[in-house]
Amino acid sequence: MGTKKRHGSTFGDVLRILFLGQKHTKLSLLEEEQMQSPYKTMLRNFTEKKPAMLGVYVFILIFLACFVLPLFFPLDLQYQDPTQQNVRPSMSFMSIPKALNGNIAQVDGGSVYGVGIDTNGTVYQWGVLNQKLQAVPTNMGRVVQVSAGLDHVLALNDRGQVFTWGNNRFALAPIPMEVGFTTIKQVIAGHQLSLALDTYGHLYVWGNSNIVNVVADDVQGNIEKVILNSNVAIALTKDHRVVQLSSRDTPFAAIPQEIQGKVVDLASTDRSAAAITNDKRVYVWGGQDHGVQEIPEHIQGKAIQIDAGRGHYTVLLDDGTVESWGWNIYKQSKAPNLKNIVNISSDYFQNYAIDKDGNIHTWGLRGYLMGTDQYGRDLFVRLISGGRITLTIGAIAVIISGIIGVIIGSFSGYYGGQIDILLMRLAEVVNAIPFLPLAMILSAIIGSKISETGRIAMIMVILGLLSWPSLARLVRGQILAAREQEFVTAAKAMGITELKIIFKHILPNVVTVILVNLTLSFALCMLYESSLSYLGFGVNEPSPTWGNMLFGCNDSTVMSQYWWRWVFPSIALSLCTISINMAGDGMRDAIDPKSAER
Amino acid sequence: MLKYVLKRLMYIIVVFLIASVLIFALYKSVPGDPARLMLEGSKQNMKPEEYEARYQEAVRKLGLDKPLPIQYFTWLGNTLRGDFGYSITYKMPVKQMIGVPMKNTIMLNVWSLIPVFAITIPLGIATAVRRGSRFDSIVQVVTIIGYSLPFFVIALLFIFLFAVKIPIFPISGVQTPGFTGSSIQLFMNKLYHMALPLIVMVFTSLGGLTRYVRATMIEALRMDYIRTARSKGLTEKVVIYSHAFRNALIPFITIMTGWFISIFSGSVVIERTFLWNGMGKVIIDALNQQDFAVSLAMVMFYLILALVGNLLMDLSYGLADPRVKLD
Repeated sequence: MGTKKRHGSTFGDVLRILFLGQKHTKLSLLEEEQMQSPYKTMLRNFTEKKPAMLGVYVFILIFLACFVLPLFFPLDLQYQDPTQQNVRPSMSFMSIPKALNGNIAQVDGGSVYGVGIDTNGTVYQWGVLNQKLQAVPTNMGRVVQVSAGLDHVLALNDRGQVFTWGNNRFALAPIPMEVGFTTIKQVIAGHQLSLALDTYGHLYVWGNSNIVNVVADDVQGNIEKVILNSNVAIALTKDHRVVQLSSRDTPFAAIPQEIQGKVVDLASTDRSAAAITNDKRVYVWGGQDHGVQEIPEHIQGKAIQIDAGRGHYTVLLDDGTVESWGWNIYKQSKAPNLKNIVNISSDYFQNYAIDKDGNIHTWGLRGYLMGTDQYGRDLFVRLISGGRITLTIGAIAVIISGIIGVIIGSFSGYYGGQIDILLMRLAEVVNAIPFLPLAMILSAIIGSKISETGRIAMIMVILGLLSWPSLARLVRGQILAAREQEFVTAAKAMGITELKIIFKHILPNVVTVILVNLTLSFALCMLYESSLSYLGFGVNEPSPTWGNMLFGCNDSTVMSQYWWRWVFPSIALSLCTISINMAGDGMRDAIDPKSAER
Repeated sequence: MLKYVLKRLMYIIVVFLIASVLIFALYKSVPGDPARLMLEGSKQNMKPEEYEARYQEAVRKLGLDKPLPIQYFTWLGNTLRGDFGYSITYKMPVKQMIGVPMKNTIMLNVWSLIPVFAITIPLGIATAVRRGSRFDSIVQVVTIIGYSLPFFVIALLFIFLFAVKIPIFPISGVQTPGFTGSSIQLFMNKLYHMALPLIVMVFTSLGGLTRYVRATMIEALRMDYIRTARSKGLTEKVVIYSHAFRNALIPFITIMTGWFISIFSGSVVIERTFLWNGMGKVIIDALNQQDFAVSLAMVMFYLILALVGNLLMDLSYGLADPRVKLD
């Protein structure tokens, strides 16, 4: 060792360091002492460890992702959407095939997919398509109209024939006999329900009538156009009146009287309906969710076509531009500046606009980066917000356990004797009782009486209260060693109070060891929190954490079919704990050269 | 030695009393009136006066009319005599109810001990001896990853690989429902269902334990007696296995205490994920059904186990390490 030539001793070495960057050179002990404070040495030792630095970088990335990204992707706790359940990760909801560009005839959006036809009558599909949807009939001839529902499609060809594919349950597949005997002019696919309107204004209904029950007896033979949402069907009659096709009294029945007889186009979201009158004005009635009734003032008198998604409206104006308003959770009501548009189509969270050259423009929901869960919630948004909750709980639990551990450990170590024995026995017992069962019982007993925010606070306190023993023991050991040193004797001789000696003179010497322990138990607390939430005794729905996102995922259907529901939270949690542990491990080695050999 | 044992026993009794007061407080803060819960089913077919009389009788029987300190001592006495209370959902004493789950948990845990120790001890020793080598640093990183991964993530991963993608093991359960056959077939069937939880259990314990063996082993290898042994000319094998490892075993006793307790408590996460009918699942079910008598009986049981385990640990320290007796 000693005979080896030291780095940096020759001119060549100096040049190399200057131009190729400083590579750490091992200094002898004496030089090191002269040049660096202990903290600097620790920092340098730490930064030289590749796994530890990798851990730090990964953790910083995760931390930023969890605390910055939710500002851009806010979480709506109450949001659920049954039409978006268990959608696999994809960004293709609106990626229209290139073949359609320039010759598109009509387009319609389904829940998580889209259907379009070109001017030759060929059908194209895109988005998340299940096996049934992929089985497009081949004998349709020239298709002139398509309509996409929740999970089935209706198509109409130039001879007035109707075809259907996709979901074939609820009697959706067999097209009623009468439909074959007449000339159909409009097909509408909805929530497990199919409608067909013939040229004589007669409406045919088949499928599941439990969700939407269409009662059209009063207006049969007089219908011009029908629209369908997840609650009700509404018809526009040949004399420009609006009629609700339902036997129940719904908010949709509150049709403004002044528009009757003047309506030219009709659309409806899930909770409200809108109409355009012959003076190009827009009227909205029904529910007020998501600001659908706040019609932009400048479109009045210019609107010529209207369509709607689940909570937003899009209108085409007479100057060829489009305007959207209403629900904006997936930016679906943020219409781009378009010109020369001739036709629009809005569905669910998507919007399509066709210009006069047959090109198509889209805005709205393109898909889900990490898919959706069983309630149709975007997993990516839940993952980043859940990470924030998990990290916060872990951090506060660690702070609580740190305070308890330091106080108990210091008193135990400094005073010794009976106090020491009692406190350490207590620590042993708290440590010995299985952690999770005890935490679960505490959570179940206390948690039944408090609110959801209270519950999150409670989890922090429980984790903090149960995880202090290891730190207390460590602090005690360190204080025991420091107690006998001269500076403590000196402090005592000067008459400094005992509390001051413990917390001002001894503790700063052991603060690095405490920090390492806190880092490692931060990872542990996160693991405990997610285990508790995974078992259903931690943070509950709808608040997301990485643990409760995995609740109920040990089911074979979820495991195999909906892999994204367990893979992404698992990866996030594992990456986070691994990176913290690597950093903590590196820190331990860095502050204590002796333990580096461990 | 006797004095040492007596002193330890004293401490344990003090700690037990403190902890039992805390658990009793928890027991008292449980939502719901136990006397009313006892009469839950028979409320409909009783007149109000009759119900009131029965209720008062139940209150007397459960001792709820007595002052709190007396209730505490009655409860403590019952617990120490092995009477852990009455399960509302199973309609039988807790002691009787936990028989089967306890057997399942012990079976799973005892079986997992063998592979865990068979892997971690040699691996820990090997990394300690070859400290700083490439092999060591790889094992170090892998074990960090191993103990950082949450149990349920490992469990989900193994289910996905070995029960969904390559269906060689059943996803969950203790045995095939409605299984009939000879006792050997039944045993084999149980073993088959146990395989996946067992693998996961072994896998989850590897990381932490390997690191622990390595750390204690390095500590032992740094001792002066190792240098002496080497300078005496003993072979490396003898030095490592006979001199170092035996001394490294002393801190191992601490770990063994943990194992002793977990054999009876089981892993809540693994039992929940594999729907293994063990102690962990009993606790979850009891809590989900608000059967707090069961869950608190379990805490009390764990407390006693923990104390006994600690006592055993102290005693075995005393036996294994002569220096302990001195303080």
